[in-house]
Amino acid sequence: MNRAPRGTTGTTPFARLLEMLRPDLLRFASWLARDRSVAEDVVQETLIRAWKSRDELKDQAALRPWLFTIARREHARLYERKRLPTVDVDEVEALGDPALATEGDAALDDLRRAIMQLPDEYREPLVMQVLGGLSTAEIARELGLSQPAVLTRLFRARNRLRGIYGLEPAEDVE
Amino acid sequence: MSATGPECREARLHIGAAPHELPAAVQSHVAGCAACQRFLDETRGLDGRVRQALEVPLTRFRERAAPRRWYAMAASVVLALVIAGGVWFVRPQSALAGEVVSHIEHEAGSWEQTGRLPGSDFAAVLEQAGVQIDLSVPVVYAAACIFRGHRVPHFVVTTASGPVTVMVLPHEKIRMRSRFSESGMHGVLVPVNEGSIAIVARNGEVPESLAAQLAGGVHW
Repeated sequence: MNRAPRGTTGTTPFARLLEMLRPDLLRFASWLARDRSVAEDVVQETLIRAWKSRDELKDQAALRPWLFTIARREHARLYERKRLPTVDVDEVEALGDPALATEGDAALDDLRRAIMQLPDEYREPLVMQVLGGLSTAEIARELGLSQPAVLTRLFRARNRLRGIYGLEPAEDVE
Repeated sequence: MSATGPECREARLHIGAAPHELPAAVQSHVAGCAACQRFLDETRGLDGRVRQALEVPLTRFRERAAPRRWYAMAASVVLALVIAGGVWFVRPQSALAGEVVSHIEHEAGSWEQTGRLPGSDFAAVLEQAGVQIDLSVPVVYAAACIFRGHRVPHFVVTTASGPVTVMVLPHEKIRMRSRFSESGMHGVLVPVNEGSIAIVARNGEVPESLAAQLAGGVHW
């Protein structure tokens, strides 16, 4: 097989880091796409791009948000380029996707279901923040939004989940 | 939960949006406002559960087959990347080979089996995957494994030149027969109908006679 050169500076550690983050990346892409097959394609493209652009990553501590940002772009690109059909939540439910499956913690399943059913504009920044570790400024830059707009979306995302968690929803923000 | 003043409303927005990334002014307000402190505690509690919910085990994400097909074809013009103890660029068919090897490596104990498996056990494995095989060599290990989202037969047969692992992949269409070498294993991917079989040996090349027998004897 045509392996990338090993033994060159940073190659092996970088590969190990990618390998380490791959499960989280796949999880992230799965939440974005709500489809494991699409998510796997997104991750594959992401890793290819990350590998090709590895010299651009100056600080390895920023690898995680960097990778997740690439994944989000690949996901968006995939939908734009291939005009994939959007995923219908009812269909997802019928297919028994993860957020909707039962594992003995009913409250957690309810929360997963609620996250899955969040509108994309709320779910995407939430997943970027919680799973991807991106700051609100990074999310704003990535989504092409103002930071206040991102704050509002994240606030509303969590506010919708408060009720599921048994908390009183907060007063909405403008 | 209602906020009482503009400062509280501003604080709630930040807390609700980013409970672990609060500006100094908000932190200062929260320190002196019991209601906002409670809101922060609640939100951080919720956030822990949200994280837990998002970190769903990967095995729980189910695969829908349709979207992958076209993209796999598109990938024939794109380099594919497989990571398994390293990163390398490969064509999709080689990516398949890499994943097969990686899968086999995770079931390393399968190579060491020597006792012939009862025919009924092997049949049960094949049945789970909807596959039939006419095979004359002894099977010493068999499992119905999840591979690329599908349950596939993974079994080991003994030959004069040592154990050989076979994975029947009805869902992995390949363009042509190809040989590969990876992690000390030598294998061949053989197209069969709309799918393929992967045959992998540890001690030298896969015997041609076995590859031919498998390719001609597998049905689904």
